[in-house]
Amino acid sequence: AQHFIAATACQEPDYGWMIRHYCLKQFQLSMEGIGQRLWCDWDETVGTYGELTNCTVLIAERLDCYWPNRQVDEFFVAVHRQYFRNCSPSGRALHDPPNAVLCPFILLPVLVTLLMTALVVWRSKRSEGIV
Amino acid sequence: MRKTTQNCFLLIILLIRIVPSLSSTVNYTDPTLEPVVTENSVIRQKIIDSQFKCYERMNRAPPYKKKGLFCNRTWDGWLCWDDTPAGRITAQNCPDYFPDFDPTERASKYCDETGNWFRHPESNRTWSNYTLCNSFTSEKLKMAFILYYMAIVGHALSITSLLISLAIFFYFKSLSCQRITLHKNLFFSYVLNSMFTIAHLIAVVPNPGLVKRDPASCKVLQFFHQYMLGCNYFWMLCEGIYLHTLIVVAVFAEEQRLHWYYLLGWGFPLVPASIHAVARARYFNDNCWMSVDTHLLYIVHGPVMAALLVNFFFLLNIVRVLVTKLRDTHRAESNMYMKAVRATLILVPLLGIQFVIIPWRPENRLAGEIYDYIMHILMHYQGLLVATIFCFFNGEVQGALKRQWTQYKTQWGQRRREHCSTRSTSYTATSISEVPVYLYHHDSNNEQLNGRYAEDSELVALKSGETST
Repeated sequence: AQHFIAATACQEPDYGWMIRHYCLKQFQLSMEGIGQRLWCDWDETVGTYGELTNCTVLIAERLDCYWPNRQVDEFFVAVHRQYFRNCSPSGRALHDPPNAVLCPFILLPVLVTLLMTALVVWRSKRSEGIV
Repeated sequence: MRKTTQNCFLLIILLIRIVPSLSSTVNYTDPTLEPVVTENSVIRQKIIDSQFKCYERMNRAPPYKKKGLFCNRTWDGWLCWDDTPAGRITAQNCPDYFPDFDPTERASKYCDETGNWFRHPESNRTWSNYTLCNSFTSEKLKMAFILYYMAIVGHALSITSLLISLAIFFYFKSLSCQRITLHKNLFFSYVLNSMFTIAHLIAVVPNPGLVKRDPASCKVLQFFHQYMLGCNYFWMLCEGIYLHTLIVVAVFAEEQRLHWYYLLGWGFPLVPASIHAVARARYFNDNCWMSVDTHLLYIVHGPVMAALLVNFFFLLNIVRVLVTKLRDTHRAESNMYMKAVRATLILVPLLGIQFVIIPWRPENRLAGEIYDYIMHILMHYQGLLVATIFCFFNGEVQGALKRQWTQYKTQWGQRRREHCSTRSTSYTATSISEVPVYLYHHDSNNEQLNGRYAEDSELVALKSGETST
């Protein structure tokens, strides 16, 4: 991309061609290097994905296009369809455990609280000699 | 404030915003007032993360089915926008990438009538409106700092007044009684809670470097903070149970054993705090456990809310009994109900009910600010309020402070057993209102004289429900 001089305003088809030929190739090589098994592991792929994004940004600057644009959207949708189709979408940032785990974690202390309260009320009645 | 609607804990989520252990609705961290360039790697990470999620969503969401022109789903560099019908403005909450972006404000994007996203007239590029995200930040920041210092001052004042009250309760042995013992424990838990809150507000909240390093000590601090929060509310519950047992169940009979109260007040809060620590370490191990965006916080706040609810019902029952007893004395109706209402209002800060009654923050900006100030005063000055009402305004305490302590010492041995049960009623009476003289004797001068006749008539009046002669 260094030897391609931007002379005119943004030409979207050119931009599309550029990112597919320069950025995508690099990305493909890196992902092959990581191995298909680990494509869904965000810790492994985050660096490569970030580089791909940077690459598209740089080419946009060279071609005097604003970023992001329609071509970027289509490009990334295609990348996702090819590489990340089988991944769970929310396995990235910190998130709560699934409801099946969360609800027992919450309901258990609440129930124990109510039981303890009932126990204390009952015991304080008993200690008075009143049933 | 975030709007969450499908969750079964909607009310509790809104209540969460009020609980003092959290950073509340406003971000206290230090700002820059201009949007920073995305050189910062942490910010870039967040943005790349959102970008990934956006394209995933664009891939998986079904295609647009409705008729008419629409704008295609798109990633605009910061937020994800869905397919939008032509001629419509769509909005969503601002992102939290930058310190001066307020996630409670809305960012918007306009899809024009031709089915294309709005382009900015100057640059002719597709443009989303993020101006609201940081436009009020400086005012909000000023208010955030005001609330922050208010919180620290409130807790400091609370600690001071509570320590003075504790000193008074410990110094004047003649005041000792079971209810006072519970007060002492409650005040002590307030003191510790305030100390941990101040430690958190001063050491952790304004210190992003510490949060980034994420030492184990700040997680331990957070654990103790949650534990003390639990202790605070569970001691309030103990007070409620004690009053309930005293007034409703076994009217002014012999002393109760306090072991169970100690267990509930100091021992039991370890359970939710530990479960929260384990769950947090396993599932949501963010730096210093500061994030309030997780439902795992309900592990501690769920039992607290349960305790408050139980307390509330005890309180209602106590008021019901008191009103019934007052009614039996044939006083004027208005007098009676007014006294019952005053009784409830004075007991409310003791039992922490205001968190149950006032959970919703108004959407309007000015009303929201007023709400924030009021809730901060209620939360952070609660220790001061409780110490004032139950120690400094207490007739007994005032009397004891006025008299020479040597006078009390000589009478203490004689008076302690006799007046323990009557003093319980007189504390209830003085903290509630004026009540008919022939039901309660609250005049402290009477205490100096032989109070035995008062005790008998009180017990007879309350037990049989008749007026005493």
